[in-house]
Amino acid sequence: MTTGAAPFLTVREITMDFGGIRALDGMGLELSQGEVKCIIGPNGCGKSTLFNVISGDLYPTSGQVLFNGDAITGLSPQKICRNGIARKFQIPSVFDDLTVAENIEIAMTSAAKHYAPFSLMRGGPDRSRYGPVLAETRLLEFGDKPAAELPHGIRQQLEIALLVVTDAQLLLLDEPTAGMTEDETDAIVHMIQDVRDRLGVAVLVIEHDMGFVRKLGSPLIVMMEGAVLREGDYAAISEDARIRQAYLGEID
Amino acid sequence: MSGYSRQLTVLFWAALIASPLFLDGWNLGLLSQLMIYGIFALSLAFIWGQGGLLCFGQSLFFGLGAYAMALTTKDMIPGIPATTLTGLGLAVILPAVVAGLLGLALFKGRGLYGAYFGIVTLSAAVIAERLAINWSYIGGFNGLLDIPPLRVGWGSWQTELYDPLPFFFVVLVAALGIYLLLLRLERSAFGTVLRGIRDNETRATFLGFETAEYKAAAFAVSGAIAGLAGALFAVQFAFVSPAILGFALATEVLIWVAIGGKTVLLAAFIGAVAVKSVENVLSDTLGQYWLLVLGLLFVVAVVLMPRGLLAPFLQLPLPRALRLSGSKEE
Repeated sequence: MTTGAAPFLTVREITMDFGGIRALDGMGLELSQGEVKCIIGPNGCGKSTLFNVISGDLYPTSGQVLFNGDAITGLSPQKICRNGIARKFQIPSVFDDLTVAENIEIAMTSAAKHYAPFSLMRGGPDRSRYGPVLAETRLLEFGDKPAAELPHGIRQQLEIALLVVTDAQLLLLDEPTAGMTEDETDAIVHMIQDVRDRLGVAVLVIEHDMGFVRKLGSPLIVMMEGAVLREGDYAAISEDARIRQAYLGEID
Repeated sequence: MSGYSRQLTVLFWAALIASPLFLDGWNLGLLSQLMIYGIFALSLAFIWGQGGLLCFGQSLFFGLGAYAMALTTKDMIPGIPATTLTGLGLAVILPAVVAGLLGLALFKGRGLYGAYFGIVTLSAAVIAERLAINWSYIGGFNGLLDIPPLRVGWGSWQTELYDPLPFFFVVLVAALGIYLLLLRLERSAFGTVLRGIRDNETRATFLGFETAEYKAAAFAVSGAIAGLAGALFAVQFAFVSPAILGFALATEVLIWVAIGGKTVLLAAFIGAVAVKSVENVLSDTLGQYWLLVLGLLFVVAVVLMPRGLLAPFLQLPLPRALRLSGSKEE
């Protein structure tokens, strides 16, 4: 774990109210560059709301998100993405009608910063790179298939690949292995470790599957009622009686 | 599925280019008229098929182009010289600007989706029709007559394109040029992003794209092309009336494109040509019942063949750079 001068991602005292319901209650966390952390917690504890706040989908009632030292709270999702934070949705969200190669073209167009259409008049992304990119993300064999026809696990991989291709520095992955077989889950674990080790990308993962969490082997953040209950590694968390009772006990 | 689509596409255009060898002046004029409707259909197919925007008021841009051409060439706009070129220029730019601004207004912020977008564009077309009816300077309900033909050449060497053959070639060049331009756009990264937005706008937003600007740009291109079709229409008929701005034509073009197939440009073009030709033949014998036949055909196309009757045969393969799979070596 490298520690730069300014912390990479700081979530500070975030509170998010929906009417009378407080989804986040003084939530805070820190993440270094190239670090992977897993967020676990029971349904309704505010995990996805936290991602919505970081990615710009929701404006928090109070609190701040700092990325590379700059406050990004209140920026639009587009701007936050351009700053290098890319988000994977809980329900697989790729371009289903388009082929895998076309999906990659969209991500490459974003990587080439053609966020608005007029810059494309001076030329688009380099199409000769799509093949190598597909090979790197192990999606080449599916290149000409519509994304809708992919197996569930490959679709999830495709969505993560789209985020990686945009040169994001931080990935927010919301339940990337939901509904997956064990082999597919392992592929996601490898993918996350690979982008961390090879590209120095930091990853925040929301996950329910404790098998996945154990295999990933990253520090855990346990959330409860909109705040951090505890942080620590898998062994320490799994021995915590409070958490076993409140959360892990429900699964085993 | 698309085994012969490339050959069929080339064959179709070759047949159009060769058609003066087989057709007399009257039928060439008729074919020019059909191709103008085809260009109009291309404009809707681009925004609907690629952008996923069901524009229910495409006639607004067709009509704007027609009126711009008519008013310019009849020297009714102070400060703008009455030439074919300025007329065509205005007929393209005015609808493009209107479509672009309308697009930005509708798509920015939370944005309008699906049927709501259709309703607003329909309303815009109906409002424009009412305005044209009540605005006496542009002819009011009666419209404008005696629109001059296209005039080409420089200085003292100028000629008017009265004859069907030269006009046919002007329309053919416009149709083929627009087809190739839209095809190029569709097969570029711009087209892919546009289809991506059609498919999953949230994902596109969360990849950093200004989706409203992409859609507005596509809408402006579509408006420009509809405007050019309108200008050619005004020249051929030498007459424009408020009806070409309004509901009836907007619905007609929608039906042509749905029957041909909205996702394939050439299918939409042929859809317009085919439906209009059948209408020319059948409306004499069937009279009012023609509309019933057309309506049934539309329902059949939408329910049984949602991709359109022709699109499956004319869908071109993706550009080579995007045809990647494991079986081929890089």
